[in-house]
Amino acid sequence: MRSTVPRIGILLTILALILVACGGDGGASQEPGESTAATSEEPAASEDATGEVVEIRWFCCLGAGDDPAQVEVEQAVVDAFNESHPDIQVTLEVVEYEEAYDILAVQLNSPDPPDVVGPAGISGAAAFQGQWLDLQPLVDSTGYDLSQFAEGSVDFYRSDEFGLEGLPFAIFPSMLYYQRDMFDEADLEYPPHAYGDQYVLDGEEVTWNFETLRELALRLTVDENGNDATSADFDPEAIVQWGYEPQYQDLRAQGSYWGAGSLVAEDGTSAQIPDHWRDAWEWSYNGIWTDHFIMNEAQAQDPTIGATGNPFQSGNVAMALSHLWYTCCASAQDEDGNFVDDPNWDMAAVPENNGTVTSNFNADTFRILEASDHPEEAFEFLTYLLGDASGELLQLYGGLPGREEDQAAFFEGLDERWTQGVDWQVALDGIPFADNPSFEAWVPNYQEAFASIQAFWTDIRSTPDLDVGAEIDAFEQELQGIFDRAE
Amino acid sequence: MSIVELEDPPISRWESRFTLARREALWGYLFISPWIIGFLLLTLAPVIATFVFTFLNLRLNQQVPVRFVGIENYQALLEDPRAWEAMGVTLRFALIALPIGLVLPFALAMLLNSKSLRGSRFFQAMFFMPYIIPFVAALFAWGSMLNPEQGWLNGMLEWFGISGPDWLNDPSWIYPGLVVVGLWGIGSAIIINLAGLQNVPTELYDAAEVDGAGFWGRLRHVTVPMMSPVIFYSLVLGLVGVMQYFLVPLVLNSGTGRPAGTTYFANIYIYNTFFSFGNMSYGATLAWLLFVVILVLTLLLFWSARFWVYYAGEAK
Repeated sequence: MRSTVPRIGILLTILALILVACGGDGGASQEPGESTAATSEEPAASEDATGEVVEIRWFCCLGAGDDPAQVEVEQAVVDAFNESHPDIQVTLEVVEYEEAYDILAVQLNSPDPPDVVGPAGISGAAAFQGQWLDLQPLVDSTGYDLSQFAEGSVDFYRSDEFGLEGLPFAIFPSMLYYQRDMFDEADLEYPPHAYGDQYVLDGEEVTWNFETLRELALRLTVDENGNDATSADFDPEAIVQWGYEPQYQDLRAQGSYWGAGSLVAEDGTSAQIPDHWRDAWEWSYNGIWTDHFIMNEAQAQDPTIGATGNPFQSGNVAMALSHLWYTCCASAQDEDGNFVDDPNWDMAAVPENNGTVTSNFNADTFRILEASDHPEEAFEFLTYLLGDASGELLQLYGGLPGREEDQAAFFEGLDERWTQGVDWQVALDGIPFADNPSFEAWVPNYQEAFASIQAFWTDIRSTPDLDVGAEIDAFEQELQGIFDRAE
Repeated sequence: MSIVELEDPPISRWESRFTLARREALWGYLFISPWIIGFLLLTLAPVIATFVFTFLNLRLNQQVPVRFVGIENYQALLEDPRAWEAMGVTLRFALIALPIGLVLPFALAMLLNSKSLRGSRFFQAMFFMPYIIPFVAALFAWGSMLNPEQGWLNGMLEWFGISGPDWLNDPSWIYPGLVVVGLWGIGSAIIINLAGLQNVPTELYDAAEVDGAGFWGRLRHVTVPMMSPVIFYSLVLGLVGVMQYFLVPLVLNSGTGRPAGTTYFANIYIYNTFFSFGNMSYGATLAWLLFVVILVLTLLLFWSARFWVYYAGEAK
């Protein structure tokens, strides 16, 4: 008996050590504030169990919405909802876009996944294909009126396989942004605003296509001695103004301006590069390294030249293909939100390719996860975001309202900010030329394929003297490997 | 005078079954059992699990039943150019960072060990201080310091009329930029080198001086051989560390590989495969590839040690 007590003590100590070692650091690293918060939430959790208050998590952002100024408005929208719905409490959880995919992927497998996700673009939705709730039963049971949306726009979110996964909220047609003063300085006509119009170059009408765009871009690319890129004296080492930029357009988007297409064949497993996408990519490559009217990677990322990846905003680029959401950042602002220089840009039609115009578009909306424990309450919040809160949010995101009756007010709001007089009709006119299939549509192993596409664009933009045709072939093979790893 | 017979203490079953040495060994195992159990549960089990993952189709967001896929993940690895590019990036950076990470702390330790340096302890503390600052916080500070416009580093270069580069966005300058950031943490390496230098017997230097050796002669024939075990230790740890390089590119370049893929290190690719692409099985396969590469390089170092590492008193 003499050694029993110490032995038991030792065994208990060992057991305690094991428990501490295996117990994680959650308790140890918990801040006092966190502890208080957890305690204060306990009553709410119990109310949840009795059905009195349902907690809904809004996961933002797989598209726009993570800018601090936007978060402020989003929180106000949530507060207003919570105030008017004592039985539902929404919590806004903002994750920066760059990390949002990773974090949502992890949270989807947690016991308490988010309920509402958005704004989520086509890309965001495709990355989590098959995990969105079919809204049709909720639309039917609540009598939600779908006729308020433009004809056909609801069908964009409907499929035989997954049902109605979203409702129209914001669409972002694409257009050509251009700096009027640079055209004036080069004594060039502005690009056509109306789809189907010709461009007048040197007094002659020519088709508004990518060859014409290239010609304009060359004339608008200028070195420090004032020579443009068509001049024999042009110095590509001393460029001070570039003619064109595919602003925030990945290679799929660049390809789709030349015609809709997909990187996956109809069998859903074979990688392919549509021929017109190859042409588009080679055109971009030559624009960077042969014609020099597009910034290379180092120039684009240079804060003084390319505004750290936002070349058109730098004021050093004459034209840029981008989407309506780019109104967010088309002109540089100081810390107080005032424009550094008076904006002087306008919008023009997207050029055609081989007689076909494709004005690809982005579309953001809010979706409910199939894993949500409270789909009815989540739908209530979703319809609030698409309804009462939409005016405020659409201005915030620069998204053209899915409801036609709201579009005039939306453009009035934009006019208050962009006082130089922008031809917003260009945005509306581009809608019928949307790409189908969308360049952002699903491909196998979406996230990895997307990362590979981004990396290939960086390679193209960074590497002179590439055999770009061979590189595209190699990229197709790499893509096939990625698709093959999909389940 | 009576003789008192002392009673033998009762022998427990435990004592009768085991010898003293056996009992002591068992107590020893009992005392280290928390570590052993922790190792088994928290280290060995995950290692085995990742190896098993490499033969499955496991995904973070599993939508199809988990199944055995044989060596499919290894076949995919062989055909995956991104994996080999990431390994190449890691090795290229190692070739730059590792020699600097070895030579600089060694040189600074020699300076701190110099008899003619006053305030050696102060400088030791100064060099070591950055090491105790949370590295992620320091990285954000470095991100600002390396900013080409407002950064202090380029500001200082401008005093000398030098227009500093865009350290973190220019493919030509990114590795020097990362090496500069890495120098933040050389405090511990300096301390290790300093401890080694202080253990070199002074009589060896005296003898070398008598033989007419100058500074370089003493360095080559006394300091370096006597420090070779420390250099070897630093080299092994440095190699393993640089092959697992992760935090700096994750924080400063958001794990994107920018600029131009130069920061797409092997560990970044592994991380992305696990958590961005959600492909747990392929991520595990990549992790095992990295493990094997590090193992081979480390074994090569150990093999080479017999030719250049000198252990005093070692029986040859």
